[in-house]
Amino acid sequence: MLRQYFIVLAPVIGLAINVASQIISFRFFQHIGLLKSIFAAFIVGFFATAFLTLYNSLSDLTAILIVNLIIYSALGYCYFHFINLGETARRIRILREIYDSGSGLSMNEILERYNAKEITEKRLNRLINNKQITYKNGKYFIASPVMLAMARIMVFMKLVLLGKRSEFE
Amino acid sequence: MPKRQTKVLLQIFLITLSAGIFSFKPLFSLTGINIFAVLDVSEYLHISIFFISLLLAYMITYSAIEADSPSLVMVLNIAGTGPAGLDKVEFDRIINDDVLVKPRVHDLVIDKMVYLEGDRYRLTRKGVLLSRIFIIYRKILGAGKGG
Repeated sequence: MLRQYFIVLAPVIGLAINVASQIISFRFFQHIGLLKSIFAAFIVGFFATAFLTLYNSLSDLTAILIVNLIIYSALGYCYFHFINLGETARRIRILREIYDSGSGLSMNEILERYNAKEITEKRLNRLINNKQITYKNGKYFIASPVMLAMARIMVFMKLVLLGKRSEFE
Repeated sequence: MPKRQTKVLLQIFLITLSAGIFSFKPLFSLTGINIFAVLDVSEYLHISIFFISLLLAYMITYSAIEADSPSLVMVLNIAGTGPAGLDKVEFDRIINDDVLVKPRVHDLVIDKMVYLEGDRYRLTRKGVLLSRIFIIYRKILGAGKGG
């Protein structure tokens, strides 16, 4: 009976192992960087989920393994987004600025602490460093089709899900 | 479109899950098809975890698609100018606080994470809770403010 619950909870335990491994690897081996720590920890959690499922399964082994790995992958994907939210989401950063202020902030005060200039500078540096765009004679150019292709896929998904190309339409 | 789309999505999916779980037994009695023969609590739990994990993945993807990402806006604007390139002055004029920051503050008000008191934005309980989750997590991770 207990084994049955172990099988059910294997992906959740796998996720816990993923989170712990990611935090440990990022804190203690900072040279590997955030993205690599996320991928490495995902793989650790993936094998942990597979091991826990195989070790406890008595019947329908393949079907249960596939289901558990799908659950684990979905949870791992959510964890990746959770990290990404903390790293890049404007809403989270604004919440944090208001939280740190203690007494709330006016729109002008929010913009003094966090604004389009800071947002674009960070991302432009990243895009230029990754050779996705170039900056020449005071102008920006597309340097690689990869980011542009990703942007177009996102626009296509917006069209499918929301029926519009941009939130401002 | 509803104002709080994520909340509505969550409601739709949770109603679907409940309806699905409650219909297993009657469907098995009616049809006798094996796929509806869920036997015990652990199987219901397994189905629920499977469904909820996919629901969370869908919701998180949906909310990422809902708002225009700054990098996406930047790349599409640059691509829109073709081989002529996008002038830095024009870039700064197009991609400003009205596009990148103010709509997100508005979203926080709609999602009831923030409320306006006079001219000051303050956090609701939900906003405080979410802020703390990220502050604590990023402290554990040893990362900065982000954004």
